[in-house]
Amino acid sequence: MDFIVAGVAKAIALLTSGDAATWTAVFATLKVSTCSMLLSVGAGLPCGFVLGYFDFKGKKHIRTILDTLLALPTVFIGLAVYAFISRQGPLGDLGLLFTLTGIAIGQTILAFPIVTAITAATIENIDHDLKLTLVSLGAGKRHIIATCLWEVRYGILAAAVMAYGRVLTEVGISMMVGGNIKYHTRTITTAIALETNKGLFADGIALGLVLITIAFIVNLSLSFLRKQ
Amino acid sequence: MTTKEPAYHLNDIRHYYGDTKVLEIDTLKIEESSITGLIGPNGSGKTTLLKLLAFAVKPTRGIILYKGRPEVPFSPAIRSKVTLLTQKPYLLKRTVFENVAYGLKIRKDKNRLEERVKNALLTVGLDFQKFAPRKWHELSGGEAQRVAMAARLILKPEVLLLDEPIASVDTESAGLIRDASLKARENWGATLVIASHDLQWLYSISDRQLSIFNGNIFSTGMENIITGPFEQGDDKIVVKKLDDGQIITLTAPEKKTGIAVIRKKSISIDLEKQADQSFLNQLSGQIASMLLEKKTGHIMATIYIHDLSFVLRLTPGQISSLDLYPGKKVILKFQSTDVEWI
Amino acid sequence: MNRKIVFPGILAVIVIIILAISAHAGNKSLMMATTTSTDNTGLLEYLMPHFEKQTGIAIKWTATGTGKALKLGQNCDVDVLLVHAPAAEKKYIESGYGKDRREIMYNDFVIIGPQSDPADVKGKSISDALSAIKNKQARFMSRGDDSGTHKKEKLLWKEADVPLPDKENWYVQTGQGMLATINMAQEKEGYTMTDRGTYIKYQSTKGGNAPLKVLVEKDGILLNQYSVLTLDPNNCPTAKHDLALEFSNWMASQTAQDLIKDFRLLGEKLFIPNAE
Repeated sequence: MDFIVAGVAKAIALLTSGDAATWTAVFATLKVSTCSMLLSVGAGLPCGFVLGYFDFKGKKHIRTILDTLLALPTVFIGLAVYAFISRQGPLGDLGLLFTLTGIAIGQTILAFPIVTAITAATIENIDHDLKLTLVSLGAGKRHIIATCLWEVRYGILAAAVMAYGRVLTEVGISMMVGGNIKYHTRTITTAIALETNKGLFADGIALGLVLITIAFIVNLSLSFLRKQ
Repeated sequence: MTTKEPAYHLNDIRHYYGDTKVLEIDTLKIEESSITGLIGPNGSGKTTLLKLLAFAVKPTRGIILYKGRPEVPFSPAIRSKVTLLTQKPYLLKRTVFENVAYGLKIRKDKNRLEERVKNALLTVGLDFQKFAPRKWHELSGGEAQRVAMAARLILKPEVLLLDEPIASVDTESAGLIRDASLKARENWGATLVIASHDLQWLYSISDRQLSIFNGNIFSTGMENIITGPFEQGDDKIVVKKLDDGQIITLTAPEKKTGIAVIRKKSISIDLEKQADQSFLNQLSGQIASMLLEKKTGHIMATIYIHDLSFVLRLTPGQISSLDLYPGKKVILKFQSTDVEWI
Repeated sequence: MNRKIVFPGILAVIVIIILAISAHAGNKSLMMATTTSTDNTGLLEYLMPHFEKQTGIAIKWTATGTGKALKLGQNCDVDVLLVHAPAAEKKYIESGYGKDRREIMYNDFVIIGPQSDPADVKGKSISDALSAIKNKQARFMSRGDDSGTHKKEKLLWKEADVPLPDKENWYVQTGQGMLATINMAQEKEGYTMTDRGTYIKYQSTKGGNAPLKVLVEKDGILLNQYSVLTLDPNNCPTAKHDLALEFSNWMASQTAQDLIKDFRLLGEKLFIPNAE
């Protein structure tokens, strides 16, 4: 129990002292999670829109597959990505293993189903009168799509926030694909795993608190966007 | 002299939701700049018809001609020329100004935008300074519906379709919306199709009324509907028993059952029963209301026969010769054979 | 309309910038796989800056279990290995994955356990100690992860003529790193086998007075040999062989060997250099 108290003290110390190991981990975490969140939203938004807006054969099956993807453990995704970007794998020559870019790719795969599923649900819940109104005001097909997306912007923001939370806190992919290399691919979460495994629980708590602080700041700034 | 093409000409329309047929119209014409009232209960297919007229949906079968040419959704000939106002006010999640300006902005028509928005809001009785910056959730139901109306009027549409426009609004807003729709026809000859339960209003402004029931259109306006259950009588006769003991006999339908329609013109009104005749229905009832149909000068009279209501179109002469007034007890007469089954 | 183009445009630019920053711009860089026990002692943190300064090679390493480290080499995901599983290393070379093996340093394994020593193993030989533990059915924590340490442990059971207690209740296979396993042993008051280096590190985390003590040591068979293993170019043509050899040579150099000798934790020597 006392390691929790020790952890709080250590968290403050780590942050204020400008400890290089901690701060490189913080920046690494911010870099990959922001990247993967933006990429997953960029890819997931249109896919979620298509899934929610149109009716087509096999829609239910795709939905089932998507929901299953939501349950993939991060270590599994990490392993799958490793298989592709390892030297032995088809994308081996790109040299993505043990890089932040590699982690970002894995995390994008993790977040993509989340964004898609939430966007699809948001679009499906759009009031039917919206399309009627837009058609009445002379909107063409492209206007309808654009305006629909803008109307549900708060739902999409929720999807982005969820995706961000998911990638910010995952360990499996960062560990497997990044290799936890100090000053390079060590993120806060892999650092926590490391310190905890070494039995340095106070350090683990400290880094955990740093992570929570970051998540809080990010969510606080996003909250200004949700004016309603 | 060239005859002008009607605004709408519907042919052999059959519309389905999934496997259910919701609309069946053999033929329907709506003249340009006319005002058509649409009367019918909820679920009768009113909204579906309006959606088809708005070209928001393509009919499952059949063709709709707009000004003589077949048109489909998103066709340039009807885009922002045909507008529909929904029953519940629906606004985009933005300011009043943005809502009203939306239609113009998307067709890149930003000339004197602020002035035009101001005028549109004025038409529905909303002050620009006060309302333009308000957000969509800062309005009452009536104010929201007026904004929605303004958003459509600003486009000077050729056709204005209104689905129960005043059903969910306060009295003041109702009046403003009614006046604004009439102005549309006055100022630029808009064609109006209005679905409403406000029969008084409809009868006072519409050139004609369409009645809709179960997806069928009766262009003679509201006809009289008798629903089941019916009992099988002697062969080829069905009977409806009313709780007050009266009996209605009708020739049996071809299909096992259906809904019976008695045309207004088949029913005569009298003060006394005549001698019994087979196949003649004579039903006692009471006049409930009498409304003036402004265009023709006829009187639409509603008579209650126990809990059924019948509508008749009467001339002022009939009214005065029989000395009819709301509350008067009357007899309605029609033949058992004067029934159409749907 | 405009903001709908500008906004995603800015996002795309941000993403590209971030990704570009992440992409490494390495001149001479070397990727190594090593074991968690090596990394956890802090030796590499201490040693590698010297290597970088002297050779100008930027070295990065990932610490995993021995099995995975060997696999990474086999898959050519790294350029060089620093492991401590001699039998497996020799087989590695025979299988055509490894090329040159260079012994660099050693420490020894010890059996640690609670002060109360329920199986009374203190001072015994390793074989006698393990037999005693089995007879008493005293709790024993194993790495259970096919690491260098684990392979050694399995060898010791064999030498003691005790069949591997794989399914026994008192034999706990943690599947984790050395420090984590030691902590578990402390928690459950059990015995475990660890390299001395990690034991000293464990001591240092407990402020010098840890509950588990060294009970069995200095039996010849407890030797723990660390070696640098380069990869076979035939299996990994793209691996950086020259740099790997430079690393191997440097680790055996007088400079490195002296540095290793001087590495201390809690005043104790962790490794003994033995390169030729």
